[in-house]
Amino acid sequence: MNTTKFKIATLLVVVMTIGFSFTTINKVTVKGSDTMVILSQKWAEVYMKKNPGTSIQVTGGGSGVGLAALINGSTDIANSSRPIKPSEVEKLKARYGSLGVEIPCAKDGLSVYLNKANPVTALTLKQIGQIFAGKITNWKEVGGADAPIKLYGRESSSGTFGFFKDNVVKTDFAPTCQTLPGTAAIVNAVKKDKNSIGYGGAAYAEGVKDCGVKKDDKSPAILPTAATIKNKTYPITRYLYMYLKSRPTGETKEFIDWILSPAGQGLIEEVGYYPLK
Amino acid sequence: MKKVIVAMAVLCFGVASAQEVTNDSIKPISIDSLQQAINMHQLKFDALNEQLSPLQEEVDRMSKLKISGYMQVQYEMYNYQDVPTATGPLQLKPGTAETNVPLTTNPTDVTNSFVIRRARVKFTYKPIEGVAFVLQPNFSFSAVTLKDAYVQLNDPWLNTFQLWVGQFNRPDYEVEFSSRDRIILERSRMTTILYPQERDLGAKFVVDFVNKYEIPLKIDFAAFNGNFGEGPIANQVSDVDSDKDIVVRATYSLKFPNAGLGIDFGGNGYFGKNTVFAAGTYSDINNNPFTAAVGDKLDKHWIGAELQLYYDVLGGFALKSQFNKGVISGTSGAAIINNNPSFNFSGEREFIGYYVTLEKNFGSKYQAAVRYDSWDPNARLSGDAVTVAPDLRVHTWSFAFDYFFNNYTKIALGYSMPINETSSTVGGIYNSDVKNNTTTLRFQVSF
Repeated sequence: MNTTKFKIATLLVVVMTIGFSFTTINKVTVKGSDTMVILSQKWAEVYMKKNPGTSIQVTGGGSGVGLAALINGSTDIANSSRPIKPSEVEKLKARYGSLGVEIPCAKDGLSVYLNKANPVTALTLKQIGQIFAGKITNWKEVGGADAPIKLYGRESSSGTFGFFKDNVVKTDFAPTCQTLPGTAAIVNAVKKDKNSIGYGGAAYAEGVKDCGVKKDDKSPAILPTAATIKNKTYPITRYLYMYLKSRPTGETKEFIDWILSPAGQGLIEEVGYYPLK
Repeated sequence: MKKVIVAMAVLCFGVASAQEVTNDSIKPISIDSLQQAINMHQLKFDALNEQLSPLQEEVDRMSKLKISGYMQVQYEMYNYQDVPTATGPLQLKPGTAETNVPLTTNPTDVTNSFVIRRARVKFTYKPIEGVAFVLQPNFSFSAVTLKDAYVQLNDPWLNTFQLWVGQFNRPDYEVEFSSRDRIILERSRMTTILYPQERDLGAKFVVDFVNKYEIPLKIDFAAFNGNFGEGPIANQVSDVDSDKDIVVRATYSLKFPNAGLGIDFGGNGYFGKNTVFAAGTYSDINNNPFTAAVGDKLDKHWIGAELQLYYDVLGGFALKSQFNKGVISGTSGAAIINNNPSFNFSGEREFIGYYVTLEKNFGSKYQAAVRYDSWDPNARLSGDAVTVAPDLRVHTWSFAFDYFFNNYTKIALGYSMPINETSSTVGGIYNSDVKNNTTTLRFQVSF
């Protein structure tokens, strides 16, 4: 055998061995929306059981954090409970020459939480917006007791914050709105405080009551149930998204295809959200 | 058998009885002591809250200030240093027969060098939503210069209008695209000549229909002093002739998500004048000489088009192009107030400039790009009809390969190959292409 050819062949084998050694564990990283963490972890857990040798790593941090991680290259998938912003798309264009890929993967309803002792049971979208903007400050203005309204909301990196601001509040939140890290913390705060109000995923409303939401004065009050969220009669519904830099390939594609398949979609209601169909 | 059962029952009873505690060892806690403990903890929580409140205020205040920045250090190799000069666009190899422009500052040949290209820190303070103050100094070995200093106001009602006042980038795709994100290491020759130092002092009104109306149309109207990056720095801090340059740019974005395709396109116009500060013989766009007096106005205007296409094919792929055509003017001589160092010529010239760039991303770590750019400073003359070096057209091929060492560090290898038009009338080294290619290895750190 020609010595040069042998050396080249040996070198190729070494390079290929090193190359393949990096591909034996198929690792996919998922980061972003806190609203989606439990759902995403459930998907990862079931998928990894079915596909040994695959590693799906899920972390939260908020939709903004996930999308920032996608832009700087530190995650494969960004979970987001709000649509990507034009400014974030511009960053993807600048860094990757790509518009990014948006994959709606579940539906969610945003509940407005009230304390169980609060006599108020329903509010219009406008009233809710005015309450969180600080224009309505006393429960008696919306048919409740004569008591100041205590506001609880999410931090600005949260997609839930962004969605609620853009679709309900439509202006700045009142400075008196206390930001808490996570929906569970908001539920807990509302549970303890008779005069409080908060917002978050419909699945989290344990120990508090859901406020019926009216589109306007003449509309009926709708509660966030599986049926009203699925058929979009509940006014505060949203999609939950996964974002990627470009169209998925390899293990990432297989994981996403599985999430969108009946097997993946079937797990969504177990966690408290709603499948796409 | 019954006896055995009874005996076992008695034994079990005895064992069971033995487990009973007649005197409970756990002392009952009184409600009062529990209340006391709760009160004590409440006091501790209140004290902690008192300590945390001012800290929270401090954190909230700090979170309104964003600090970012980047540094570019590079190693360059070249046969000739490509620097604009008083008599031509090229600073050539000193002390050899190949050059007709000897380097006066350094009589020895320099073929490679370490360079700090950028060292910038950007401070963005957003005291309330919709208001931003931006300050960006650039640090170099010999001086600290101010790159950006402006106030940006966003309308809170429609989320559509913006007002910028201060010193900031002129509205142009390649100018506004930060060098920290660029794949090709330097901007095109056209952009650096039309927009010296990229910035200017003035005001800009932006209408962006995307946020409120979801229409991807953006329009910029700007008025600038028009002399930034020209002449001595001391003369750039305010206007030198009261006339303002007007810039208009409109862009529209199309998206085809199913095809993974996005197309941004737009048009721009620049309308200004150059005041003559040094009387003398100038030449007009027809290459005819004329006498200019101090205070005369020279034309400076152009219109252009731009296109950026993004296509998701095995990762990101982008095609970017700009075209500008119009009249550029100036006065030669670095000491003149509004001398554009990259267009060092006394007179007006009809120019044509364009570039086409192809960019490809390979995963998250690698990028590559190639660009062809053309700058013809005198579209009315070509070849041997050109009599002076500054009128020669230059086509430049640029290549770059970037590697992201991590999220904050990029290593870029670039090669730039300018090919100048030849003219036997100009003669000398311009009888053929000047070998002024440059290889650059750049390290960029950003945060």
